[in-house]
Amino acid sequence: MLDIGLAHYLVVSAILFVLGVFGIFMNRKNVIVILMSVELILLSVNLNLVAFSAQLGDLTGQVFAMFILTVAAAEAAIGLAIVVIYFRNRGSIEVEDISTLKG
Amino acid sequence: MFVGAVFFPLLGACVSGFLGRWLGDRVAMWSTVFFMALAAICGLLAFWQVALSGQPQTVVLFTWMQVGELSFSWSLRYDTLAAVMVGMVTLISTLIHLYSVGYMSHDATPSRFFAYLSLFTFMMLMLVTADNLVQLFFGWEGVGLASYLLIGYWYEKDSANAAAMKAFIVNRVGDLFFMLGMALTFFTFGSLEFDAIFGAVQDHVNDVFLGIPSLELIGVLLFLGACGKSAQLGLHTWLPDAMEGPTPVSALIHAATMVTAGVFLICRMSPVMEFAPVALAIVTVVGASTALFAATIGCVQNDIKRIIAYSTCSQLGYMFFAAGVGLYQAAMFHLFTHAFFKALLFLGAGSVIHAMSDEQDIRKMGGIWKKIPVTYAVMWIGSLALAGIPFFAGYYSKDAILEGAVAAGTGVGMYAFVCGAVAAFLTAFYSWRLLILTFHGKPRADHHTMEHVHESPLVMLVPLLLLSVGAITTGFVFAPYFIGDAATAFWNGAIYNLPAKDMMEALHHAPHWVPTLAKTVAISGILLAILIYGFLPHIPGRVAAAAPGPYRFLLNKWYFDELYDRIFVQPARRLAVQLWQVGDARIIDGMPNGAAALAAGASRGTVRLQTGKVASYAFAMIIGLVVFVTLFLTGR
Amino acid sequence: MNWTLALPELVLALSGLAILVAGVLPRRDMTFPCTMMVLGAFLLSGAFVLTQPDGMGFGGQYISDAFARFMKVLVLAGAALALLLALDWNRAEGLSRFEYPVLVLFATLGMMVMISANDLMSLYLGLELLSLPLYVMAAFHRDNARSSEAGLKYFVLGALSSGLMLYGMSLVYGFAGTTNFAQLAQVLGGTAPISAGVVVGIVFIITGLCFKVAAVPFHMWTPDVYEGAPTSVVAYFATATKVGAIAAIVRVLAGPFGGAVDQWQQVIVLASIASMILGAFAAIGQTNIKRLMAYSWISHTGFVLMGLAVGTEAGLRGVLIYTPIYLMMSLGAFSVLVAMRRNGHAVENIQDLAGLGRTDPAMALGMAIFMFAMAGIPPLSGFFAKLYVLLPAVEAGFWLMAVVAVLSSVVSAYYYLRVVKVMYFDASTGALDARPSGVSFVLAGTGLFTMFFFLMPAPLLAAARQAVAALIG
Repeated sequence: MLDIGLAHYLVVSAILFVLGVFGIFMNRKNVIVILMSVELILLSVNLNLVAFSAQLGDLTGQVFAMFILTVAAAEAAIGLAIVVIYFRNRGSIEVEDISTLKG
Repeated sequence: MFVGAVFFPLLGACVSGFLGRWLGDRVAMWSTVFFMALAAICGLLAFWQVALSGQPQTVVLFTWMQVGELSFSWSLRYDTLAAVMVGMVTLISTLIHLYSVGYMSHDATPSRFFAYLSLFTFMMLMLVTADNLVQLFFGWEGVGLASYLLIGYWYEKDSANAAAMKAFIVNRVGDLFFMLGMALTFFTFGSLEFDAIFGAVQDHVNDVFLGIPSLELIGVLLFLGACGKSAQLGLHTWLPDAMEGPTPVSALIHAATMVTAGVFLICRMSPVMEFAPVALAIVTVVGASTALFAATIGCVQNDIKRIIAYSTCSQLGYMFFAAGVGLYQAAMFHLFTHAFFKALLFLGAGSVIHAMSDEQDIRKMGGIWKKIPVTYAVMWIGSLALAGIPFFAGYYSKDAILEGAVAAGTGVGMYAFVCGAVAAFLTAFYSWRLLILTFHGKPRADHHTMEHVHESPLVMLVPLLLLSVGAITTGFVFAPYFIGDAATAFWNGAIYNLPAKDMMEALHHAPHWVPTLAKTVAISGILLAILIYGFLPHIPGRVAAAAPGPYRFLLNKWYFDELYDRIFVQPARRLAVQLWQVGDARIIDGMPNGAAALAAGASRGTVRLQTGKVASYAFAMIIGLVVFVTLFLTGR
Repeated sequence: MNWTLALPELVLALSGLAILVAGVLPRRDMTFPCTMMVLGAFLLSGAFVLTQPDGMGFGGQYISDAFARFMKVLVLAGAALALLLALDWNRAEGLSRFEYPVLVLFATLGMMVMISANDLMSLYLGLELLSLPLYVMAAFHRDNARSSEAGLKYFVLGALSSGLMLYGMSLVYGFAGTTNFAQLAQVLGGTAPISAGVVVGIVFIITGLCFKVAAVPFHMWTPDVYEGAPTSVVAYFATATKVGAIAAIVRVLAGPFGGAVDQWQQVIVLASIASMILGAFAAIGQTNIKRLMAYSWISHTGFVLMGLAVGTEAGLRGVLIYTPIYLMMSLGAFSVLVAMRRNGHAVENIQDLAGLGRTDPAMALGMAIFMFAMAGIPPLSGFFAKLYVLLPAVEAGFWLMAVVAVLSSVVSAYYYLRVVKVMYFDASTGALDARPSGVSFVLAGTGLFTMFFFLMPAPLLAAARQAVAALIG
């Protein structure tokens, strides 16, 4: 049976992180996907923190994770609000369309 | 008291400049006069305490800036040299403020004028009380700015604007050298504080920069800077044109104070200059040449203010060659007396111009001495002092300079003496030419103007009378202090002379024929002028007709302006036009070539990166991150 | 627990909540009273900052030292003046809503937390408390497509950057075993080699901070957000938040990561050089003055990072002198931008300033002063700012960076002077509307500071020196 150690957590979290990052700049379709990618990044961070916290026997990481959860909720709320007003103005949330400001 | 002498004028300038519109012109005018008077009282007390009682001191205001090893503080250095200048500047400036109240009474914006005038005085005081070269440079630039504003005060006049620009540009050329000199000083001494520089001169005598002894190079550069401000040969062209400003300005800036800043600088740097014999020789030759050159031009000019302007130029030459032969004391003495009689002459000329309904051409004057007797009398006093007639102020200082030039016993000293003696003759000649053409003979002005000739109001006459007292007395009262027996105690180490060549001592052993010769040439110059212009008025025309070449040469001021126009101004203008046509028009409106194209291309390239797409922005961030991580991990 | 130490922040937080309530309850428009209350809260908090003692609180999460006080005073001053500018602009644009001053207050609170952070956790919380209101503010003109696009862009990129930074924090926590700055400094300052995990973590954190100060290559949001967001908001972005961002990056790099200076130095040098070059060149072709200011800031960022990269005491002092001088120049320039409106409509092209030298000489003079100062022309304050970061770089032998700095300021002088040229030499296309009194106030204050800084720089220099001493111990 495979022993699940710190390294495994870190790899999973790294994969989640890379998925999140790629989700932001590879995605050409929908702004909602970007919001989800951001959540993915934050999740990977939380996973990291909790894993490290257990490894180090130190509660700081878990406290940090709690804070991040809270902030992530606020961030998601604000993100969605901005997406809503953007949609009201432009009638679209295509990522490709968010490019009128340039130069 | 020490602080007050410097800052009261600034206060006056602020009151008049910022509150002038609110206070009304009269209040603004008189408040600046009031503040100047306060400053003058402080200045004279300072002069008394520092110079006459021998208590020099330095007042530290606050630390100004600190960059690396460079550290400056604003402080006022009151030694005898500074105290002489402070006393003189505040006193004369006060008189000129007072005079201006009358002279500018018909002007539209006198509060602006007085604000500039006070600002100028403040800057001048900053310059002379500076404790380090940076502060001196601040004052130096400040007086430049204020004189630019004042010359161009009547900005509706094109000629005034042009003259202001000319003064500004020529002064910039001088400033460039000054800055180079300052940089080299810092490079050599590691400091710009006077105390530090003067203390370390001995250690740096043998320093070499670019194959030239550093001290020589510093001396030459600073002298070139001084040339710009003090209108010496080559950079003198702005001074006569600067007469476009109101006459009190000419008196204050272009006679008594600002133009002497260069002389002051050389005297201030005497501990350095003394170790730079070649630089001093250059100072002597340029000074002597200027003295002669300006005097020749003075003989044929017809504008009353321009004649006095060239005379200023010439007298500055005297001061420079006095400093050049190592007689800084005499240079400062002449500076001191000159300030009184030259301000007197300018203000007197202003009074004449005022009387003649703004006529400045002496060929259109004449026969007015009975109508303006006070002005006539003070002009006589001023001219007597200028010509160096015994017992008037100029006599003592000029004699000392000429004697010193002989006593120096060097080739350049003799050259300076010959130039000085000839210039003294010419000085006397053109002074009396001016007096006779202006006041005597048949009236040449039209009837209407003659009817309006009137003596100036009391507010203008009082300064004239006070200055004429100065022009008579400053010579024999102060001669013992500046150059006589009490000199060592008076200067109190503010001026440094090499022990090896004690000029003060040499001065007393000058040959006896020198003063006699000086008196003789001055009196013969006067007599010749009276003879020619008083009794044989057709002679000058014949002479001019007989020798048209030399006459035109002098009338056109040795063609200096034309020369500069050909060599510098026209090519520069052509270049500017080219730049404007090719550069400006195309860079801004179209796509240019050369470096500008590169910049515009780079701009376009970088801007093209900014696509506006969120995804590409995020991508750029990730790329940046990857680059950073790589750099981090490989850089270890 | 020594909670009174954080009195400035507590006062600000509580008054924020109270003002929010005060804004919601009455039926009438509460924008003006709320703005005044926020200004009052800033003033009160500032007074507490000035009397704050040194010390540490909240289990080592919070530190109060000379550096924090220096930066907090700047942040509060910047925020208050920017809010003053926003009042008139928002009213004219129909954006008069009481939430605006409250958002400014919370963002400012976030910055203050960030400045006083002594732990990665409080740094993160402060940063987010700053960022979240900023996202909203960027999109504050909610009926305007450009404003909402600016908000969305800022949000997406900001979320990405804080995600990257958090990931870095988790790595640093895991491999260094602590999040406390003092302990991190001990771990990194030791003789043992620093593990790769920590190094990668540090890079990620630097990335996040570089995003906040808009250093190349993390600058891309700046021009777009500046152009799209309402001018009043940009006035806040370009002034107070920059001070906060600089404070954060200085605090983190000079504090806990000070031991790893050899590692991050090259990165910061690279970012500095790239910022200076990009900022100088990209601005040349701009026609929108807000965009111009964005690139101008990117170039200034390069200078700030230059002082930081040198890493010496003199370099850091240069940064701390640069910050207030920049704050004043930028506030002044934005007070002019805020006043740019013609016939009731905001205008924001450089060409709209044409003829300002004749139609409003005072404002044109002010703008000319700020442009000359930003170009670094002596004796204006901007010259000294550049001098104080340039000299340490030269002394420490960073020749490439110094040469690039000088060349880039020559290039950037071109576009600053172009603004002056347009104001004084181009034919007017019609006068701008009369400027509101708030603008005149800010313009006069910042203009005088910028113009006459050289007369009396000593107090600022002394304060900066003290702050640096507190920072590097």
